[in-house]
Amino acid sequence: MKFRKMLLVTAGWVIFAVVNSFAGSIKVIANSSVRADTISEAELKRVFLEERISLPDGTHVEPVLMKEGAVDEAFVQQYLGVTEDDLQIYYRTLLFTGRGSIPKILESDAEVVAYVARTRGAIGYVSASASAVGVKTLAIGVAGNDIERKLITRVEPDYPETLKQLNIGGTVRLRISISAKGNVENAVLLGGNPILGESAAIAVKQWIYAPSRSLTVAEISIVFGDH
Amino acid sequence: MATATSKDHQGGRLRRRLFGMFFACFCIGHVLLHAQGFKLLDRDVQIHGFASQGFIYTDDNNWLTMNTSQGSGAFTDFGINVSTNVTDRLRVGAQLYDRNLGQLGQYHPSLDWAVVDYRFKSWFGVRGGKVKTTLGLYTDSQDLDFLHTFALLPQSVYPTDLRDATIAHVGGDIYGNVSLQHKLGDLSYTGYVGHRSDSIYSGYIYLAAQYGLYYSRYGGLQYGGDLRWNTPLKGLLIGVSRMNEDITGQATDKNPSSSGPPFFSESDHSKADWTNQFYGTYSVRKIRIDSEYRRFLHNAYYSTQGNVVLTNITDVRGWYVSGAYRVVKRLTVGSYYSRYSITSVSGGPDSAFAPPNQTDTSLPNNHIYDKVVTARVDINKVWNVKVEGHFMSGYGASTFPDGFYPEVNPQGFKPDTDALVLKTGFNF
Repeated sequence: MKFRKMLLVTAGWVIFAVVNSFAGSIKVIANSSVRADTISEAELKRVFLEERISLPDGTHVEPVLMKEGAVDEAFVQQYLGVTEDDLQIYYRTLLFTGRGSIPKILESDAEVVAYVARTRGAIGYVSASASAVGVKTLAIGVAGNDIERKLITRVEPDYPETLKQLNIGGTVRLRISISAKGNVENAVLLGGNPILGESAAIAVKQWIYAPSRSLTVAEISIVFGDH
Repeated sequence: MATATSKDHQGGRLRRRLFGMFFACFCIGHVLLHAQGFKLLDRDVQIHGFASQGFIYTDDNNWLTMNTSQGSGAFTDFGINVSTNVTDRLRVGAQLYDRNLGQLGQYHPSLDWAVVDYRFKSWFGVRGGKVKTTLGLYTDSQDLDFLHTFALLPQSVYPTDLRDATIAHVGGDIYGNVSLQHKLGDLSYTGYVGHRSDSIYSGYIYLAAQYGLYYSRYGGLQYGGDLRWNTPLKGLLIGVSRMNEDITGQATDKNPSSSGPPFFSESDHSKADWTNQFYGTYSVRKIRIDSEYRRFLHNAYYSTQGNVVLTNITDVRGWYVSGAYRVVKRLTVGSYYSRYSITSVSGGPDSAFAPPNQTDTSLPNNHIYDKVVTARVDINKVWNVKVEGHFMSGYGASTFPDGFYPEVNPQGFKPDTDALVLKTGFNF
């Protein structure tokens, strides 16, 4: 009896771990016609439940599903908050009552990427390792445009000696992409001195954030000097 | 002996029919799973369908116009639809539906819905044509057996013999979804106006015929709205629906006990006819809990050659609480308690010939309380089997269709009825 209990608990943890490991390995992709770089979880859910046909910026969107499997299951559970079976019932209710249609369902990462690339407004999901050529990767925020991630390791940027002596400083603004694991994968200068921006980007790319379910985007500011 | 042979023969036919359906489901399902659409003018056209076959056995009263005390398989329905997105915002589609439920439906197909739907914005869309009526959680999907855990939805709120009364209207809807600020969830709304038309094979008309009233037409204006709030609490949705109607009917009265001459024309008209429905559903992990309350008030008068001969106020109240739990991926168990009560008060010259007023809902002829347990097994993604037990107290009023009809219970009603329902459904 004790063994059975342990087996059940272990199995539960394995399933939980598998689902969550996939959740961290998902990326949401969109056709290039989608103007936004970030989409909130709530908005993503509304798009996939066909409650939204456009994003707040007016871009038309349509959801694309992947055939039942680990990636699909992780996406549906994490971002839509339902089971795959419940989602199918939901779509079939829409379809059979004349209120909607079942979204396109594709077999593999490659098929989803290809379809999203050629279909205006398409939004889909693939495993993080999938090639995303021809599509854009959307960052997921909890609400609004970004998500607050806990910073674990911070590396201070070099303040170039020449600029310091000339009292050239100020605030540098960067948009950074933080991977699900917490690494800063990309940093784009939004404003401020370009030389200080480059220094800031080098430092920021060494920062480590707490893991999350997916890639997120954040805007940060770093101040050089007493400005 | 002859009866037993006849029963055996009927049983054999039923078994062959069920086996044939199982086999057809298995074969067709596998084929259609991979062929649910085609391309037309570079647009994806989706084709989907469903079918279900049920069997009901009751220990005493015959139920739902079937000869259920002998066991009846006259419980069949099926439908097929085709739809396509013409543009990003424009969608068209239609569904045919047919059913046989004892004496109802009788395999006369109908256009279930046929809509042109244009969505201007996420918060505003319009659809027109024959549109499914939004009323509570499941009015629009009540025929779609494969979507539900239960073989029969709670009859206090979703009487299957009265489906025509609420299922659809020819007219138009406006609808939309609005996000609320401060993470308060979102609201979905629907407003509609149209014309309801009952089939002459529907419950109300079938019941009226038992009193010598033969309707050739029954229907009228139907308008209302629905507002549902997807709350910030994940999985919780609550809502309210309201429906108003103005119903007229044309009938020939062949009842020799009426005040008028035999075979005269009679019409009925509703002075007040409304339905209020309040509902909530909560789903978390493998559990789903639903609850709904519906009140239906029908104030009608019946006239012959311009003279009112009978007035009637029928007040129907029903509610249920249901729970379903997915034990494993392919097995779901569920239970509900459904409570239905009715009062009926008549007046006018013909009221002397009408059934006596019924106002005491504690009597079995004014209520039906139903305790239900069910198990649903999904054989595969397209085929399910359900086994369900109903333990009913009361049989409702004989003046209003509520499952138990005098015509199929000539010996009179027993106060309690237990029922076994077996049902299998298929969809693609």
